[in-house]
Amino acid sequence: MTRARPADYPQAAAATLRDTPEVRDAVTAATRTFDTHRRESWAQIDAERWRDWCRDVKDHVLTHLDDLLEQAEVRLVANGATVHWAEGAYDALATLGRIVDAEGVRRVVKAKSMLTEELGVNTFLEGRGVHVRETDLGEYIIQLLGEPPSHIVGPAIHRSVDDCRRLFHRHFGTPLDATPEALAATARQALREEFLAADLGISGCNFLVAETGTLALIENEGNIRLSTSAPRVHVAFVGIEKILPRMVDLSGFLQITARGATGQPIGTYVSLIRGPRGEGESDGPEQVHVVLVDNGRTTLLADDVAWETLRCVRCGACLNICPVYRQTGGHPYGFTYSGPIGAILAPALLGLEEAMPLPFASSLCGACADVCPVRIPIPDLLLHWRARAVEAGLTPLGERVAMRAYAAAAERPGGFSGAGSLLRYVPWKRGGRALPVLGGWSAERDPPEISARPFHKLWREGIE
Amino acid sequence: MSAARDRIFGRVRAAVHGRKRTDHPGDFLGWRPASSVTDAVAGFTEMFTAAGGEVVRLASMGLASTWLRDFAAGFTGVALGASLPDDFVPDFSLAQPESAELGVSTAVGAVAETGSLVLDARDGRRVQLLPPTHVVLLRKEVVYPTLAEALEVVSRDPPSAVGLHSGPSKSADIGQILVKGVHGPGRVIALLVG
Ligand code: SF4
Repeated sequence: MTRARPADYPQAAAATLRDTPEVRDAVTAATRTFDTHRRESWAQIDAERWRDWCRDVKDHVLTHLDDLLEQAEVRLVANGATVHWAEGAYDALATLGRIVDAEGVRRVVKAKSMLTEELGVNTFLEGRGVHVRETDLGEYIIQLLGEPPSHIVGPAIHRSVDDCRRLFHRHFGTPLDATPEALAATARQALREEFLAADLGISGCNFLVAETGTLALIENEGNIRLSTSAPRVHVAFVGIEKILPRMVDLSGFLQITARGATGQPIGTYVSLIRGPRGEGESDGPEQVHVVLVDNGRTTLLADDVAWETLRCVRCGACLNICPVYRQTGGHPYGFTYSGPIGAILAPALLGLEEAMPLPFASSLCGACADVCPVRIPIPDLLLHWRARAVEAGLTPLGERVAMRAYAAAAERPGGFSGAGSLLRYVPWKRGGRALPVLGGWSAERDPPEISARPFHKLWREGIE
Repeated sequence: MSAARDRIFGRVRAAVHGRKRTDHPGDFLGWRPASSVTDAVAGFTEMFTAAGGEVVRLASMGLASTWLRDFAAGFTGVALGASLPDDFVPDFSLAQPESAELGVSTAVGAVAETGSLVLDARDGRRVQLLPPTHVVLLRKEVVYPTLAEALEVVSRDPPSAVGLHSGPSKSADIGQILVKGVHGPGRVIALLVG
């Protein structure tokens, strides 16, 4: 595994830029494409109204979460599913281990799921001698490479067609000039056998509808539909914040998530799963297990400022537009979730000390807040965690002083742009700590040319 | 119930307690009001085609059955969904979904605003997913303008699983180049009757 810890972020980011400059090209190209599609797709709809509606539904969910979780559990059980509760990764994996043992599971197919990355499901299963196969094409590629995902939606966006050609040549002997179609056909064939031979399918979940106990999963390839229906047992890992109250609420969320992620009106495939195979159905799993996972989410929910982070639908729009993420992709963040959302989730899910310096890995340009479909105020929350870090003495003194001034400026109306403008006048010094907020970061990088105009102004003018 | 469950609920209640509660904002309004079925059919056709799906529209079940017989002649091995009407099925060379080149099934609904076919698990999920080409019989009467309406209708008598299929299987995971038919069918045809 090439993954670093968040603490290594400055060095890992610098190393990525220095040693593998092609990663920046691939990530920038892919994220710009995603973002262009999102922008075109949002232009067709009343996006501002949609975003308000989605924010309000999620706030409703988060302020009624106890009742809605209870309702979802009752419905799932009535549907014939088995519900498990996991406080942390350890519990979640132990639950999975019990199912694997009880069912004599030898082969597992996995549908793409960030929560299972967060929990470390693959390593756990492999450690028990269980054969695990990722089935999303991007996840399959990085599994063969032994890498973690570098983007929430496109796990392999840091890899070029040529990288994939070389990888498939090594594994399957396909020619080095194979077309993407030929490579995909090779993967299709290999994975088709995996689907049909697996005893267990593992998935995440995009939304869990409380009123009906329905799991909703979004994808484009069909691997989630197959992973959740071909094997005889299905285990879904679900973050407790994934609840939606009503079936009809899905209509808004399925659409805005797809439009935010890739600009599609809806994912090519949506699976709406209530439970195990019903009477008179010729296929589908005999058992459905739903593991409801906390793993730090209740700590975040209790934070009077940062709880809004739990509205996230993991669309990746904030990554796609982030000028900092675009430089390196997700690996240097050293955390399952990268980019702006990763920088505000890490302090909550890992603990602030462990997450340092991710809340500082941002130019605070504000672009992420402009695109988030559930209107999470990401720059405000970055400042929130920075201020906490300063309070906790987790930053060097110079940064602490600068942060106080920065936070104070940012709290005033118009202060956000003011603070950014101020920052431009702080002198850069090679290898030095002169740029206070970015001290550790700048030490690893050559000082950039300071633009005559602030970044966020250029951004809004469409010049990058 | 487990101790883990109790502790999670305890923490959720403590976190939510005292926080201002947000009301549910009410129904989501679709992005494209389509009030009549004629509009819905046109809307579905436009969106499904834009996503790479194909639509063949025929006036009657008889004509659709004839079309299907001709179309299926080009395939060795056809898998059939369980809810296909008996008189609709010509004598194909039948096969299991695992080996069939063509899958034929029936949609319980379709959605104009998203260009989606609504597929029911009682029809068989493998036939909807495994064969490389998928023909889906769709009656005009069950094309709904909005996703919310379609979801409401399928919730009345829900199977264990529903699939919304909006075009052929696709992926851009290899160097951002769009490839069709990665796991699900690379070709999907809505056989629209009425
Ligand atoms: S924070 Fe917002 S933009 Fe970023 S992944 Fe979550 S929902 Fe999408």
